[in-house]
Amino acid sequence: MSIQEDLKPLFYPETVAVIGASNTPGKIGHIILKVLKSSVKKLYPVNPRENEILGLKVYNRIEDLPENISMAVITISAVHAVEAVRSCAQKGVKIAVIVSGGFGETGEKGLLLEDELRTIHKEYGIRLMGPNSLGIFLPETGLDTIFVEHGDKALSGGGGIAFITQSGSVGTEALGIASNTGYGMRAFIGLGNKVDLTETDFLEYFSRDNDTNCLAFYSESIDDGKIFLENAREVSKKKAIIILKAGRTEAGQSAVSSHTGKLAGSDNVVNGAFRQYGIQRAFDEEEICDASKTLSMLPVPRSNRVAVITAAGGYGVMCTDYIEQKDARIKLHLADFSDETNKRLKNINLPFASIHNPVDITASAGDDIYVETLDAVLKDEGVDLVICLTFFTPPAITKDLVKKISDKALEYEKPVITFAQYGPFTNKYLKEFYDRGMVGFSSVYRTVRAARFLVERNHILNIFGEENE
Amino acid sequence: MSNNKWIKELKIGSKPDEWEVKKLLNDFGINTPPGVLLKPDDLFKPDDLSPPFVVKVCDSKILHKSDIGGVRLKVGKNIHTVIDEMRSEFEGCNLLIEEMVPYSGIEFIIGALIDPTFGPALMVGAGGILTELYKDVNFRLIPFTVNEAHRMLRELTIADVLEGYRGSDMDISSLADLLVSVGDLVVELGDDFNQLDINPVVFCDNNWLALDGMAILNS
Repeated sequence: MSIQEDLKPLFYPETVAVIGASNTPGKIGHIILKVLKSSVKKLYPVNPRENEILGLKVYNRIEDLPENISMAVITISAVHAVEAVRSCAQKGVKIAVIVSGGFGETGEKGLLLEDELRTIHKEYGIRLMGPNSLGIFLPETGLDTIFVEHGDKALSGGGGIAFITQSGSVGTEALGIASNTGYGMRAFIGLGNKVDLTETDFLEYFSRDNDTNCLAFYSESIDDGKIFLENAREVSKKKAIIILKAGRTEAGQSAVSSHTGKLAGSDNVVNGAFRQYGIQRAFDEEEICDASKTLSMLPVPRSNRVAVITAAGGYGVMCTDYIEQKDARIKLHLADFSDETNKRLKNINLPFASIHNPVDITASAGDDIYVETLDAVLKDEGVDLVICLTFFTPPAITKDLVKKISDKALEYEKPVITFAQYGPFTNKYLKEFYDRGMVGFSSVYRTVRAARFLVERNHILNIFGEENE
Repeated sequence: MSNNKWIKELKIGSKPDEWEVKKLLNDFGINTPPGVLLKPDDLFKPDDLSPPFVVKVCDSKILHKSDIGGVRLKVGKNIHTVIDEMRSEFEGCNLLIEEMVPYSGIEFIIGALIDPTFGPALMVGAGGILTELYKDVNFRLIPFTVNEAHRMLRELTIADVLEGYRGSDMDISSLADLLVSVGDLVVELGDDFNQLDINPVVFCDNNWLALDGMAILNS
């Protein structure tokens, strides 16, 4: 069976049972049932003592459930969860999402329980997600097993990013923040302790999913490391892959007797392996959100020549410094404009503007100068990517600037990354950029870093091209 | 245990000495300076090599030989005296006598290990005794293409010395080939392989040479 068919009961379940459904508000078994009610038509709460929860008929035992259950969400404590999974398997449930904690993350006893889960999976073929998993959130249908606040309303608009995370909270908290300025998610997957389904399974699933254009992983350990990388290399030819690999692995006790072993200890192997297999690396929760948002939404530049537009000199200088700073990820280059572009910039701009890259249109400029300048640099063959620093306090700037810049940028195949700082309105303006199909950030550093993700992606695609020759 | 002929001939199965490691490197086309192994009772015949010489104690139990006076450089006519001195200091040990190669420019390190998640990996970077201080190294998983070897070299901070920095004449292509050869060696040793340090690797007379090597096998 293909992974697409295998995981259909997880992504598009027709019937869902919630094991440990509760009448007590605030309990996990209550929250999950309540959230699922809005997206799942056939929803069956299971609880030994209740008759009705949230207006739904309760089944007292798993054995009593109707046939053909697509998915069971297991919310009860670890020891009982194992037995529940066994009953679900015997009942013919296709997939169990084990939200319960208290497994391998707590020690020896928990690890033994995980072994039992593996045995059940092997014996009955039931697919297992977790344990200690947040499950799934699919904006497309509203399917949602996440029982913590995760900006789900802000994220419900959907998008192209599949976010697959071993740690639930790293996913929900980071995405919650990212949603403030817009983040387009195809799906959220909480892997948890991975007794059955791993990152390799979801890599394959999303590689075949037409609505996914970018895969982001938070991983502490990668199961079947080499197989994952081999598959990732194939996927990366079509879709960007970003991994936040946390938890430095030591090369092992024996390895410290060589220089190589000592130098590998600081996870240099991961860096090299990711580069070799066309994977981009992020180092913290903000970076993985920024990277995936950028790579999912913007076209890949042809090379690394950046044009900068600013209305505030200081920001242009900072931006230039970041662009020219040596960076292990990829080199950026401040673009040289053609004579024609220079001429046009001179005509458009005020006499005291600085028309060399970074172009400082000055705080006296209005919307039209901004947009005309953007058009001029986008037209230049020597420009691969534009960073447009926007400001809304200058008197001649109107609130329409966001729309005007977005409309102009989207006329071209070249990526335009925006930056905005506008006191308490900053996020609102960045969100408006996002809603118009643009990527923007609230710091110069993050804006330039986003440019590096795009240029690195181009570098990766070039390498695939070279290796094919 | 492996069928590899080299492994079968080792004195100590898991920890070959420098001479043995260099034989292995030679098997994979990796050059080392001309040299001879002198067992405790062997006589050194000066006709075999041209001075100046390097005299090294060659024993896999000694880890940092230069720290304990186990390496003597620029040895010329006094070779027999030096051999006698070394023999009395390191009783019963073999000595490795090599031609001292005149090289200039930066030293490289090439190493390999088995990563617990990803398997065999190769390292290259700034070598010499300060390698762990510079930390200018880069890894790739084995096997890799020669193009990949070029990329991993170009990512190093010291990469410019391979592309003519201040008149440097070091050849990047043959170094990339050398990396691939070390990868082949690791593949060949298979499950027996544990770790390898080749340090330093230097460029001399249009040739990359491994001046020292340390390997650990799985016993």
